[in-house]
Amino acid sequence: MKSKLVKTDIIGWFKDKWAHSPMFSTLLALLVMILVQSVVMTNVAGSFGGMFGKMGMAWLNILRNNTYAGIIALGMCFIIISGGIDLSVGSMLCALGAMLMYLLDEMNGPLAAMGLVGAPAYAVAIVLIIIAGAIMGLINGVLISYGKLPPFIATLGTMKIFRSVTQQLTKTFNPAVPKGFKLIASAKIGGQVILPIIYWVLIVIAMHIIFKKTALGRQTIAIGSNERAAKLSGINVAKVKCKIYALTGVMVAFASIIYLARIGSMDFANAGSGYEMDAIAAVIVGGTAMSGGRGSLVGAFVGMLIMGVMNNILNSVGVPTFLCDAIKGAIIIFAVMLQKKDNV
Amino acid sequence: MEKIYKSFGANNVLTEVNFSLGAGEICALLGENGAGKSTLMNILGGVLPADSGKIVIDGEEKHFLNPVDSLDAGIGFIHQELNLINDLSIYENMFITHLPKKGAFLDAKFMQNKTAELFERMNIELDPCTMVRDLDASYKQIVEIGRALLQEASIIIMDEPTTSLTEPEIERVFAMMRTLKEQGVSIIFISHKLNEVMAICDRYTVLRDGNMVAEGLVKDTDPMKLAAHMVGHEVSNDVLKHEATIGDVVLELDKLSDGKNFQNISLSVRAGEILGVTGLLGDGRSELFQAVFGAAGSKYSGRILMDGKEIHPSNTHQALDNGIAYLPRNRKENAIIKDMSILDNGSIVMLSKLKKGLFIDFAKQEQLFGQQGEELRIKMGSQYDLITSLSGGNQQKVVLAKWLMSGPKLLILDNPTQGVDVGAKEEIYHIIHRLAAEGVAVIVLSSEAQEIIRICDRTLVLFHGKQVGELVGEEMTETSIMYLATGGNQNESES
Repeated sequence: MKSKLVKTDIIGWFKDKWAHSPMFSTLLALLVMILVQSVVMTNVAGSFGGMFGKMGMAWLNILRNNTYAGIIALGMCFIIISGGIDLSVGSMLCALGAMLMYLLDEMNGPLAAMGLVGAPAYAVAIVLIIIAGAIMGLINGVLISYGKLPPFIATLGTMKIFRSVTQQLTKTFNPAVPKGFKLIASAKIGGQVILPIIYWVLIVIAMHIIFKKTALGRQTIAIGSNERAAKLSGINVAKVKCKIYALTGVMVAFASIIYLARIGSMDFANAGSGYEMDAIAAVIVGGTAMSGGRGSLVGAFVGMLIMGVMNNILNSVGVPTFLCDAIKGAIIIFAVMLQKKDNV
Repeated sequence: MEKIYKSFGANNVLTEVNFSLGAGEICALLGENGAGKSTLMNILGGVLPADSGKIVIDGEEKHFLNPVDSLDAGIGFIHQELNLINDLSIYENMFITHLPKKGAFLDAKFMQNKTAELFERMNIELDPCTMVRDLDASYKQIVEIGRALLQEASIIIMDEPTTSLTEPEIERVFAMMRTLKEQGVSIIFISHKLNEVMAICDRYTVLRDGNMVAEGLVKDTDPMKLAAHMVGHEVSNDVLKHEATIGDVVLELDKLSDGKNFQNISLSVRAGEILGVTGLLGDGRSELFQAVFGAAGSKYSGRILMDGKEIHPSNTHQALDNGIAYLPRNRKENAIIKDMSILDNGSIVMLSKLKKGLFIDFAKQEQLFGQQGEELRIKMGSQYDLITSLSGGNQQKVVLAKWLMSGPKLLILDNPTQGVDVGAKEEIYHIIHRLAAEGVAVIVLSSEAQEIIRICDRTLVLFHGKQVGELVGEEMTETSIMYLATGGNQNESES
C-alpha cells in the first residue's frame, strides 16, 4: 500500500515537472543522451570498464570544442529572452580575433611599438578587446532600439559588414600569436587542456547570476514578454536593449580571446561562421522560447552540451559527417515541438 | 426548443450550474470576475471539457471535444478579443474556415454574394469587399456575428461585446441583436454593464463563486438587485464624498497639441484633487496623457509643467523621476507581463532603484510589495505565482501597486476599472480617494460617466481631441457629460 502511494507520487511529481519546468525536460534529454553515449562507448571500448576512459576523453572534447559557441550562446540567450536575435556574433568573433591578433603582434603591433610585451601587453589587449566587443554589440543595440530596425535585419547587416571589412583589412595580414598568450587557454592542468572549460563554466555562473539577481535580468524578461507593458512601466527599453546587445558583444570577445589562445591562428574567411546558428540552437534546445519572455541561461549551457553529445555519438557510431547536420536539425525541430506543449 | 443543462463538481470552479436558453431569447450571464462565467461558456463552446453534467441541445445530448464540435451543433462563440484578420476583406474573413474554391482558385464571386445575402438578412449595409482594417469596432463585432450565422449558428455567445465600443456603436450591435432575436437566434450576453443588460436582455442568470445564485426575467428586476446578486451584498451608486485638503498645483498643461489626436489642451490639477477626463472613443484622452507620461516620444507641442517647472518628457522613465505614474488602459496588452510573478510585476517600476550593490535587494522588494499588497488588499496565493493566476480586479491592484511603490505626486489612471468586477471596482474607488487624501493629485480617464460622477471632484470633457467643457461637482450628470461628449455645444456654436 505504502509503496504504491510513493510510486504514484513519483509519477505525479514527474508529470508536474514535465509540464511546468522546461529545465527538467532539458536535463532529462541530456541524461538520456549520456546513457545512449555510454552504451555506444561500451561498444567502442569493447568492455564496460573501458567505457569510463572513453567517456572521459569524449567529454573533455565535447566541452572544449563547444566553448566558443557555448559562451556566445549565453549572450544569445539574453537576446532571445528579450525577444530579439543576433546573427552577427560569428562575424563579430572573427573581427575581434583580427583586432586581437593586431594588438598582440610582437613585430608590428601598436602595443609592442609602445614597448609593452608579455603579460602586461596581453592584459591591455584583452581589456581593449572586451571594450571593442561591447562597442560592436552596442552598434547592434543602437540600430535596433534607436534605428527601430528589426533585430533580424540589423544583425544580418552587421554580420555582412563585420566579416567583409575584416577580410578586406586582413588580406596581407598574418602575424603570429605570442606563445605566452596561448598559455591563457592552452596551458595544461593535470596533463589536460581544461582552461577553456573552466572559463566557460565560470562565465555560465556569472551570467546566470546576472540574469537571476539583477534588474537587467528582470527587465530582459519584461521586454521579451510584453515590450509595451515594460515601456509603460517606466523601463528605458532602448537602453536595456543596448545593454543586452553590448553584453553579448562582451561574450563574443571572451569567446574570441579563448579561441585565439587555444588555436593560435584564425582563418578570417571561416572563423566563427555558423556560430550564430549553433548558439541559437543551443538556446532553443535549452528550453528558451523563441518568442521571448521565458528562458534559462543554464538551459543554454545544457542545450550546448546536448548538441555536443549528439555530435559525439553520431561520430562514434560512424554516421557520415554530412548526415550529422541533418540529425542535429531534426533534434532542434523536435526540441521546439516539445516546448509547444504548454502554450497551445 | 433548446435546453441546456449542465452540472459539475471538481475544483469548484463551477458547482452544479444549470443554465437554459430558449429559442429567440437573449439571456444575460452575469457575475463578478472569477465567478465562473467564462468557464461555463468555454464548456459550451467546446474549449474546455466538463467534469460531469451534460449539454442538451434541441432535446439531444451533445458531447463537445473541441470548438469545432460546438460550432457544428450550432453554437457560435464570439470572444472578447475579436478573431478577425485585419488584412483580409470582410468576405474572406467570413469564409476563412472553409474557403470555397472554383478549380484551383478562390471563388470570390460566390463568397461576396453569400456575404451580401447574409448582410441583407441581418439588415445591415456593408460592402463585403471592405477591408476589416477599415471597420470600426462595432462592425467588426457584427462581422463576427455574421460569420457565426453563416455557419448556421442558432446560439451565439457574446463575451463582453461592448467593452471597447462607443455609445452609437453599442446601439448598432444591439439593433443587430434584436434583429437576430426576431429570426429565432438565441444569444447569451456576458456583460458587466447592468444598464445594457436591462436594455437588451429578456432573462438573466447570475453566477457567484461557481454557483448559480439567481435567475429570472429582466423585467422583474432592476440593476441594484442584479448588482447585489453579483457581489452578494448591497452596492451603492451614490456619489462618494472624499475629504482632502487641496494643495498646490501639481500638473499644468498649456496648449498641448500633437497635431493629430488632441489640440490645445490646457488644464491644471492640484494635490489632493481628483480630476476626471472623459469623452467618447476617439476623444484623444489616452494619447494626451500618454504624451504627458512620455510614452509618445517628443511628438507634441505646448508646455507641460510639474510643480511649476517645465518638463519635456519624451521617455517613460523620465516620468518616474518627475513623480508621474500612469496606469494604462487595456491591462493585458499594456500592463501585465505574463511571464513574470506577481511580485516582479508589482515591483517592476522600482526594480532599477531597489539595489544592493549590483543586485536587486530582494528583501526590500518583498517588503515594499508586501506593504502595498496589504494596503490594496490584493488576494493572492503566493507572491511568486504568475500574475496570470489572479482575477482581473487583483491584477489591476498589482498594476496599481507597482506605481504606488514609486510614491508618485501625480497618478494618471486610464480606465482603472476596465474588466474589473463590481466588488473590486468599489475597492479601487476607495483606494483612489485614500490616495487623494494623502495629497496625491489624481487624474481619472474614463468613458463611463457614472464612474466620473461618483469619484471625481470635477471633469473635463473632450470631443475629437478638443476640450469642450468642464463640469464641477453637482454639474456632473450623465446627461450633461453625454451632451458635451457627443459634441453637443459644438453643434450649437456652429449653427
